[in-house]
Formats: sequence, C-alpha cells, structure tokens
Amino acid sequence: MTTPSTVFPTGVSWETAGTSRIPFKVYTDEEVHKQELERFFYKGHWSYVGLEAEIPEPGDFKRTVVGERSVIMVRDAEGGISVVENVCAHRGMRFCRERHGNRKEFVCPYHQWNYTLKGDLQGVPFRRGVKQDGKVNGGMPADFKVEDHGLTQLKVATRGGVVFASFDHEVEPLEDYIGPTILQYFDRLFNGRKLRILGYNRQRIPGNWKLMQENIKDPYHPGLLHTWFVTFGLWRADNKSELKMDAHGRHAAMISTRGQGGKAAQVTQVPSFKESMQLNDPRFLDIVPEPWWNGPTAVMTTLFPSVILQQQVNSVSTRHIQPDGHGSFDFVWTHFAFEDDDDEMLQRRLRQANLFGPAGFVSADDGEVIEFSQEGFEQKPFHRALAELGGRAVDLHTDHMVTETLIRGMYGYWRRVMEEGGGPRGSTPQAGGAEVSQ
Amino acid sequence: MRNIEWIAAAELDAVPQDDVIGVEVGGRDIALYSVDGEIYASDNICSHGHARLCDGFLDGHEIECPLHQGKFDVRSGKALCAPLTEDIRCYPVKIEDGRVFLALA
Repeated sequence: MTTPSTVFPTGVSWETAGTSRIPFKVYTDEEVHKQELERFFYKGHWSYVGLEAEIPEPGDFKRTVVGERSVIMVRDAEGGISVVENVCAHRGMRFCRERHGNRKEFVCPYHQWNYTLKGDLQGVPFRRGVKQDGKVNGGMPADFKVEDHGLTQLKVATRGGVVFASFDHEVEPLEDYIGPTILQYFDRLFNGRKLRILGYNRQRIPGNWKLMQENIKDPYHPGLLHTWFVTFGLWRADNKSELKMDAHGRHAAMISTRGQGGKAAQVTQVPSFKESMQLNDPRFLDIVPEPWWNGPTAVMTTLFPSVILQQQVNSVSTRHIQPDGHGSFDFVWTHFAFEDDDDEMLQRRLRQANLFGPAGFVSADDGEVIEFSQEGFEQKPFHRALAELGGRAVDLHTDHMVTETLIRGMYGYWRRVMEEGGGPRGSTPQAGGAEVSQ
Repeated sequence: MRNIEWIAAAELDAVPQDDVIGVEVGGRDIALYSVDGEIYASDNICSHGHARLCDGFLDGHEIECPLHQGKFDVRSGKALCAPLTEDIRCYPVKIEDGRVFLALA
C-alpha cells in the first residue's frame, strides 16, 4: 500500500522497477506529455499519416498530423508522396484548412507565399519590391534565397500502400522500426493489393492518447466490457489467442482465432450466447473467411505511438491516434476495402464497420471507458494503475489472452526512452524498466 | 478576307525603354513592353496569381510577375518557369505615326 505524501505530487514516481504499476501522472502531467511528443512523435519514430489510396492523383492531398503538428500528405506531380509541415515559412501560419483536396501548389493566404507540392518555396509576393513613380520600393533583401525558406519536409516511407512520416531524417528504416515479428502481421493485412477507401470516422476522446494504445494491448477486456461481442457470440473465452510484441516492447499484435482453423461453418454459424437475443439484422455477423487471413480471424496490431491496424473478421481499418494535450486525443478511423473485392464483400465490410468507430456497437465502449479512466487519474494523481494480470514481467510471446503483458511491455519501452534522457535509439528491453522473458 | 482592325494603344514614347507599362485597350488590361527598341504586347494579368505584369520586372524578353516570380517570354507569351502552368496571350503590334497599335481580335 502506497502512502502518498500529497495528492498532487511533482514528477512521475514508479512504485517498482518494473511497469506493472503505472503512475497516474503519466496520463495527467503536461510536461510529461510534451516530453512524449518530443521523444515519441518528433524524434526517432515513424508516425502513420495515411494510405496511398487517399491521394491517388497528382496534387491530391490530405491534411493530418504527426503528434500535434499539422502536416500535409500530398502526391506530387511526379507521382511520389511528400509530407510537409502545415506551417508557412514566412509568418508561421497553419495555411492549409481543408482536410482533403487537389492543388497544383500550396499558397498561404496571408501573404500568398507559394510552395511546390514538395514544399519548396517558389514565389514571394513583391520579392523585388513595388514600382511607383519610376522607383522601386521595398522588397526582400538582395541575399534572400527561396531555397532557404521552404516548408519543413518530413522523411517519408511507404509499405503496402501505407504512408509513414518522421520529422527525424535519421530515423531507422521503417522495416527495422516495425521489426520482423510485427512486420509479418503488417504484411498480412497490407500484402500489396490496392486499397479502396470506404470512409472515415472521427471522434475526440477526452483521455490520454496512451490509453488507446493500452486498450488494444489489453486482450482481456473485450469479453468483459464489450457485452455486444459476448452476447452475439463473437468473443468466446475459448478463442485461440496469441500475443506478440517487437523486441522493444513498443509494438504488438493481438491474434485470435475462432474455432478450429477458421472453418466457415464455425465462424459464420455463431450461436447467440443469450439464446433469447437475436440480431434484428444478422448481416452484421455475415462473416466470410478470406484466404489472406491464414488462420486468425482477428489481428489487432498496435504500432507505437500513432496507429492501430485493425482486422476484425471482414472489417479492416486504420485507427490514427492524434494527441491533443495530455488529456485528449482525436481518433480517426479509415475504413478500407481491397480493390479486388466484389460488391458483396464490399457491402459486408461496410456492414461490419458498424461494430467500430465512435458509435460502433463495440468501439463506443472503449471511448467511454478511456474518458472515465482519465477522470479517475485527474482526481487522484498520486495513485497508480495496476497491470499485473499474467505476472509482473514482460513476455514477448504469450499464447493466451489472460495477461496485461503488452501494456507492461509498452511502458518498459516508455520508461527506457523517457528516463534515460538520450532518446529512443539503442533502447533495448534489457536496458531497464520491466524484466523481459521470452 | 477580313481586314485586321488595329486599335491605338499608346504613344510610342509613353513606353519607357526596356520597361513595361499597363494600358487599357478596347476594355482589356494590356501590358506593353519595350525591348531593344521593339514593342511587344500581352495580356496584363498573370495566368497564375492574378497580378498585373506591368507591376513586375522586365529582364530582356522576360517579364517576371511581382507576386510569385513566374516568368513569361513577352514575344510569345510562353510561361517559362514554375509556378506558371499556363501561357498568356500576346497581340500583334504595329507602330505608325509615333503611336502603338494592337490587333486584339
């Protein structure tokens, strides 16, 4: 039992050397939050920015964020993808207001500074001054060079139609960043087929951004919180399950398989847990196994810090975590399909998407419990959460769902990066934080 | 064959050597350029940012727009660099009795 000296302590104090007891301060402290933005979002890490299918044509752009910095993902005239920061090099204005669009160039409306789609400055109004009565007034100094005043350009990596960006041009290659264990689940979902965008959900969740990562690293809540899953038989305690994480403990995959090898009969003929309750429209559970699943019926992949990759039976989406201060984040869902889907599969994916998103039959619960968790943290900032299910260590591979090891793994990584001052590079699971066993 | 209609645009000595002026001719905003003693005429509004080219800077046969530094060749109206993507229209010029005439049709 902790004896807190004060209700409002300064600094983050962990009760143990491990990460099974997580101080509420990691969710409530604005300074911690800024340090997280620096170390996880702006340095040494890749952030999800979108899907190539969102910007198929030259000039197509999407406004999004890396951490809390507004950026624009754009397809340039040559067909390449650039990501530039949405801050004018002149007076710092966040010049792009549209979420999506098509442009030949970017122009800041304030003084019409004018950039190529790659972010190079090309024109500056009255650079050479204004002619009046035979003389030229004003203008930029003679040594002003447009080359020195482009938009900030991010490093970009794409894989399987997914676009990542980093402000850190020294960041390790994307494949190394994801690591071999998680990369195979990434490639399972994004295996080179062209994607088709079905639509978006957006929600602002009044809780710390890490809680959403934790939510998808917590395999034991679905059968308890999401009564819809249980009632209609989508979640069963006998689901075959695996949990995996990368060598750093930052990324993870929750892999679950219904029935034996995903045979159609056992996946689709879902008996209702409560026999008296029937879906009015059973098509929500019209599940058809797909060859690319290779067994698992659901794989939820968390890529730290910015995105969750969802395959829940036939519903596939990305979920982008966009922090907004320590106590709030925007959660943006991009529902997609594959180019080779027939109309029936397309409809099936759309219908099953009703389980997810801000008002989803299942996901609505998550937004709410994250909000209520944050409320608890804010009123009791000296306390800590418990994540001791399945022990106190970090197991890189688990073959059941009754453990919080993925949460402990993430905070092991968090502690190594946040406490050792040097940033993420060279961080290994052995270098502090939780004990690791394989 | 239809006769070309020549419209008086300006006095020749109103166009300063190696510089540009804006005039209104037949309701149109026109830029007149003088380069090495030759007179050229084009639409005065940049095809990119809606600025007046007569407020820009003439270097030889190139007019640079004051807003975004796009350049056109005043002889052909051809757009020479980014951010320009469209040419501008040029007009035939003749000089008679110390005046500049344009064919706008």
